[in-house]
Order: sequence, then structure tokens, then C-alpha cells
Amino acid sequence: MYHKSKGYKLFSIFNHILLILVALTCLLPLLHLFAQSFSSKAAVNGNLVSFWPVEFTADAYEKTFKNSNFTGSMLISIVRTVLGTLIGMFVITTAGYALSKDFRGRNALMWIFVFTMLFSGGLIPSYILVTSLGMKDTIWALVLPGAFGAYNLILIMNFFKTIPKALEEAAFIDGASFFGIFVKIFLPLSLPGLATVGLFIMVGHWNSWFDGILYMSNTTNYPLASFLQTVVVQSSAQSMALSQSEAAALSEQSIKAAQIFISTLPIILVYPFLQRYFVKGIVLGAVKE
Amino acid sequence: MKMKKTCAAAASALVMAGMLAGCVSKDNGPGTAAPEAALKDGKYDPVLTITTAKQQDENAGKYINGESLNDNVMTRWGVDHLGIKIETTLLGGDAANYNTKLRLALTGSEKLPDIIPVYDTSLENDLIQSGQVKEITGDIQKYMPDRLKEIYKQYPTTFNPVIQDGKVYGMAISPNLTEGEVMLVRQDWLDKLNLEVPTTIDEFEKVIAAFTNDDPDGNGKKDTYGFDFSGKDSYNTGWVSDPVMIFSTYTGKHLPGQWYNDNGKLTYGSVADGNKEALAKLRDWYSKGYLNKELATQGAWDALADFTEGKAGIIIGRPWLYGSVKDVEKNIKGAKISAHPTIKGVKEDKTYQSGQLNDGVFMFNKNFTNMEAFFLYYDKLYDAAFGTGDFKYGYAQGYDYDVVNGEVVFDSAKFNKPLDAIQAPGKMTFTKNTPSVDGPGKSYYDLANGAKPDNGILMRAAAPVDQTAKDGFVISYENRDVLLPSAFNGAPTKTMQSSWEQLTTMEKETFTKIIYSKEPLEAYDEFVKQWHEKGGTQITEEVNDWYKKTNEVDVMSAMGLK
Repeated sequence: MYHKSKGYKLFSIFNHILLILVALTCLLPLLHLFAQSFSSKAAVNGNLVSFWPVEFTADAYEKTFKNSNFTGSMLISIVRTVLGTLIGMFVITTAGYALSKDFRGRNALMWIFVFTMLFSGGLIPSYILVTSLGMKDTIWALVLPGAFGAYNLILIMNFFKTIPKALEEAAFIDGASFFGIFVKIFLPLSLPGLATVGLFIMVGHWNSWFDGILYMSNTTNYPLASFLQTVVVQSSAQSMALSQSEAAALSEQSIKAAQIFISTLPIILVYPFLQRYFVKGIVLGAVKE
Repeated sequence: MKMKKTCAAAASALVMAGMLAGCVSKDNGPGTAAPEAALKDGKYDPVLTITTAKQQDENAGKYINGESLNDNVMTRWGVDHLGIKIETTLLGGDAANYNTKLRLALTGSEKLPDIIPVYDTSLENDLIQSGQVKEITGDIQKYMPDRLKEIYKQYPTTFNPVIQDGKVYGMAISPNLTEGEVMLVRQDWLDKLNLEVPTTIDEFEKVIAAFTNDDPDGNGKKDTYGFDFSGKDSYNTGWVSDPVMIFSTYTGKHLPGQWYNDNGKLTYGSVADGNKEALAKLRDWYSKGYLNKELATQGAWDALADFTEGKAGIIIGRPWLYGSVKDVEKNIKGAKISAHPTIKGVKEDKTYQSGQLNDGVFMFNKNFTNMEAFFLYYDKLYDAAFGTGDFKYGYAQGYDYDVVNGEVVFDSAKFNKPLDAIQAPGKMTFTKNTPSVDGPGKSYYDLANGAKPDNGILMRAAAPVDQTAKDGFVISYENRDVLLPSAFNGAPTKTMQSSWEQLTTMEKETFTKIIYSKEPLEAYDEFVKQWHEKGGTQITEEVNDWYKKTNEVDVMSAMGLK
């Protein structure tokens, strides 16, 4: 038996070690951050913290949650993610459903969508478009421009295509409408695909920071990722005109650690619930016909 | 039938979304379009709105009492006292994305703010070229209050980047020399090893050798080293973790990465005589373990950690750097830091550092018609610096100072409502830093020489903060003549745009490789040759042309600043 052969065992051991190493490279930075967030400021500045808190204190968390900018940004991020995922899923699934059928002009439409995957208008045209539509300083500037993603569309569309046509025809005979079939048959049958795409969109919204900085003219409107971007990016020597108080604030590494840690939590919590669909979703969606 | 309904629903949902977007969006248009507001008794009536752009660091203090950028104690003060409402309509987080947003605003899809602070010389140039900013020569002459004119008179070079064809398109944001750098030394290590504070390069070498080899922390391990600095971004950070002192020891006023006016001719410091000797020293020290092992990968701020951890003995930076590394006195029992001037050069003069005159420039929308209001407001902000008017002690009681039991207090922990940190007005007004006339630590110097703390500025300096930092400010003021602002502060020249990046990369790599002993010392000569051949000669010419051109027309007289 080949899986009992020496070579296979060796490979298996090697494989395990490799995967453990890969897992550690993902886990250790987070652990380090966690330890920093619970350590005293002096210990963190002196580089004394590795993977276990030194001089344990929850001070950084207290300060973080007292900071109304942080909590406000968190709220905006949550609203944005929920709204963005709902709108995104609605657009993608309806479009995917329609495009999984054969109709005239379908290929031309697909071609247009795929075109957007290869070429984008670029920063300036997108900015002019969003501001001219009056979306600047509103949540819509964060939600609408990214609502339609061609890559996700293709995943979902191919997923829908794997659903037997006979099922649909049977439903038609029973008197169901297109919309009824979509809601009652296609959506429930493609949960893995929906979960996968949903996670993609969700993580995308949660992590996206540039649009927040670009389209918001007040920090109180920043989503969490944009807020963190402005806090964590350290001033380099190039922007050297820092005053004393600014410089002191810059060194509060433990607070930054707490903020980053809190901001990663929601996604870490959502992930296990969607993970079981994940592999299936990607594989099925990727297979054509 | 049913399908049509669904389509209609979807379509209407989209339309709704669009309408909502339209409803919520703010209108940036009016306000400034109504120039009816008139100045009566130092106050505008009706309230005049001035829009501004702001680059804001989230780290720089926080808002209290639920205040925000456009609604805080300073904006309310402006409305109540001057009838001027300052509204930020363009906001960028760090320097890079602030510049991006300004460039996007230039595309014309929205209105540029009335006041535009710009921190990038090439962007300043682009703004002038775009024709969207106002020429303000006459406005300065007419509206700038006399006490501000006195300040701007002292710093004529700050106008260089915004002069084009003899016309002035902007003005420096609170021109003033930054405070200089001081040398922070582990005093307890010096005491333990019976060493004196180094004042020459030879003494410096002796001290860092002892800090590396003679176990100054007494733990029996060879785990300390002498000199902690960062070479990641440049060998002249002008800020913290700076090694420029070692270069200046041999090159004098020719600092690496900076232009120096050598009797009317601008020359580039990195190719000046003496750099080779400095590199030879650093190379020797590095191989002997006297220097930060990771100096080429650690940024200015990262390099501090070694000092704070108690591994390094000497670090250089602005006087307030003490506040950022003083945790070593908490982490290690008996640790004590002291501040000293930088060492002397080999030619028996001082060592020099880069100084900064201003943090960016103000530029103005060409349609902005209320320069008088701007100057009124700007002058008021200077009240705190002069210790006059409404801001005698500070900007706002309970924010950056407080009166407790009839006494003015600057320690935020002792306020009537104690705060974590003082609320710097930099987050609330249109200047990033508080305007100052104080210079590089003059108030601390005056106090040390017996001045009575009778105005806000002196009282603030007299507030009980870290003594070592205060010593540092005094030292930096006593040595203010070592500060050299770069002689070239214009927009990148034509050849710079195409090859400067390449040249600075070559410079950084060569310097680092020589220090790391990965290339022989002679690589420096080759670098100088290459530098001149690959555009350096051309750039030097262009920089000198620029210098001649900016000094051609006497704009200072035109602005009434002579």
C-alpha cells in the first residue's frame, strides 16, 4: 500500500512540519500583538515583550474603548460591512442567476464584465465619478463602488450552472416563476458558494481603508481600517516636523496593538462559521460545466 | 408579469440608494460665495465661513467632550469672537494620502478649499502651474499684521518654493527654526566606567568602545553597545536616531543629503570632502560592534527601542526625545540619562545638523477674497506665542491649560478635570503645529538664566516636566548656530524628476554597504564619480539656476517685508 510506504511517511512528516511552520508564521505575529496590548507602555517601548504580557495591564483596552473615534469608526465599519455585503450579495446573485441562463447578448455582457477585471478606470475617474454623484462623505461611497465584482460574479454564476436544469424545469411545471425558482431553489442549493463569496465581500469591506481616506473629509466618518491606517503608520523622518506631544503619542505601541487586535477579532470570529462551506465553494465555483 | 415587478423593485431600490446618497451629501458650495460679511469691531457679521484642507495625524492628541474637527472649542471660539467659521472640507491622514487627495481635488471635480496647506514642494509647484492658487504679494503687504511681518522678515528663504516669475503664491506656515538635536547619554554607565562625556571624535570613540566592551550594565554579558542610530531612510534624519553628527565631524557644514550655500554656490553634501573619513570611522565601529547591528533596517523610531531596553549607550535626537526613551529609567534600576551638546568637529568647530524653518506653506484658492479675515485669524493664533490677548496662557482653558485654585496649570493630570494628555490646538485649527515665536527652546534658556515666568510661554516652559528634556532644550538653544536649513527648498528640478530617486538610492546603498564592510572604502570615490556622471552635475547646475532665479526679483520689498 502506497500510503504506508517509507517515502509517504517521510513526506507526511515533512508536510506536517511545513504546515505547522506556516501556521506559526500566521499565528505568532497575532500572539505578539496580543501580548503587547496587555503589557505596560515602558515594557513595550523597551522591546521587552515577546509572546507573554509583561507587567500585565488592560490600560490600553480601556483607553481604546474610551476613544470615541475608535468606537465610532468601528460602528461605521460594522454598518458598512453588513450593508455592503447585503447589497453586494444581492447584485451578484441576481446578476449571476440571469447570466447562468442562455439569452441573446449574454456573451457580450460577460465580455464587458470581464473587461472590468482587466482594466479599471483608475483613481482619478473613479474619484470624479463618486464625488459628482454626491456620494462623498456618505456611507454609499464605501458601499456602492465595490458592490459589483466580476470575479465573484463568475464564481456564483458557475455555481448556479452546476444546478441541474431538470430541477428548474420541474419547478416551472409546478408553476414557479423565475424569481421563485431563484429564491426557493437556486439560493438554498448554493449555500457553499454564497458563503464563500459572502466572506470575500465581507473581509474586503472590513479591511478596505483607502476608500475611506479618499472619500471622507472628516475623521469621524472613517471606517475602522482607515482609522487604524492613520494611527499605525509611523511618521518617518521625512515628516519630521513633529511636536513634542505628537511624538509622545506616537510611542504608545501598546494602544496600537490593542486597536489592531480588536479590529481583527470580528473577522476571526466569523470565519469558523463560514469555513466549512469555504473549500467546497471555491472548488465548485471554479469548475466549469 | 411577476418578473417585471421584481425588476421594477430592484430598479427602484437602486434609484432610492442614489437619492439617499444625494440627500446625505454635504454641499460645499455656498458660504464663501457670499462676500457680504463685513468686518465690524474686529468681528465679521454675518459669520464668514472659510474652508480649509488639513493633514491630520490621528496620533496627535484626541478630541474630548465629543468634539470633532469641525465642531470644537477653537472653531466655536472663531465664530464667537471673530465671526469666522473655519470648516475643513478636505482631510488627509498621512502625508502621502493628503497629497493624493489634494491632487484629486485639482482635477476640478470639486471646489478647492480656501486655505490649502501644502507640505510638498513638487505639489506646491503643480498648484502654481495649475493656475488655481492666488498670487498674494499684495495681500501680504496690505493685510499681514506688523508683528507677523517682523517674523517673516527674518526668514526670507521660506518664500523660495512659492515664488514664480517674481510673484508670491503662498507663505510659510509659522516660519521658525526647529529646536536642534542633543546627545543623550547613559550617565550611570559613564559613572560606572569612570568616563567623561565625550566632546571630540576620539573621546567619543573611547566611550562607545567602553560601552561595548567593558560591560557597563554589569550583568557579565557582552550585550551592550555604544551608539544607536538609524540609517534606514537616510544618514541625516534631522529628527531622532540621527548619525549626522559623525558626518559633520569631518565635513563641517556639508551635511549628507542636503544642499549648502557655499559662498553663493549651492553644493550637495553627500559628495563633499570628508564623507569618506566619516564612513571609514563608521565602518570601523560597525565591525567592532559599537553600533546598532540593524541600523540599515530600523527606521528612526524603531532604533529607539534598543536604547529604551538598556542595550545602547548614546542616542541623538531633538530634546523631547528624552520623553520617548525615558522608560529605560523605569525598565532598568539605576539607569539615568543626561543630555549634552553634540561633539566638536575635527577642525575644532562644532558639528552641524539640519534645521527646519517651516512645516509647509499656506496657499490660497484663487477665488478666495477674504485674505483680511485669514490674517485676522492667523494673527490671533499667534497670541499664544506672544502671550497676548485671548490666548495669554494657552488656547483654551481645560484643553491645553487650566486655572486651578487661581493658579495656571499646564500639567494635564492636574486639571480640574484631569486629562490623559493636553489637547493640542493643532488638531482644531488650520495649522498642524502651534505657531511659535519661541525659536529652538528660547523660553527654557531664558528660564535657566533667571527669567521670571510671567507670560504664558514662559509659564508653560516652567511647568514641571522632565528636567533632562529641559536641559536638552537649553543646550539646543545655546547651540542654535549649528542648525542649517537646506539651501535648496524649491520644487524638484527637471533632471531631479528623472534621476534623483536613482541617485539617492545609489547613495544610500553605497553608504550602507561601506559601513557593513560589504564594499571597500574606495567604493565611495566611485560613487562620487557616478553621482556626477549620472545627473549630479546637471542637477547641481539646475539647483544653482533655481537659486539665482528666486533671488532675481526683490519680492521681499514687494511684500513690504524689507
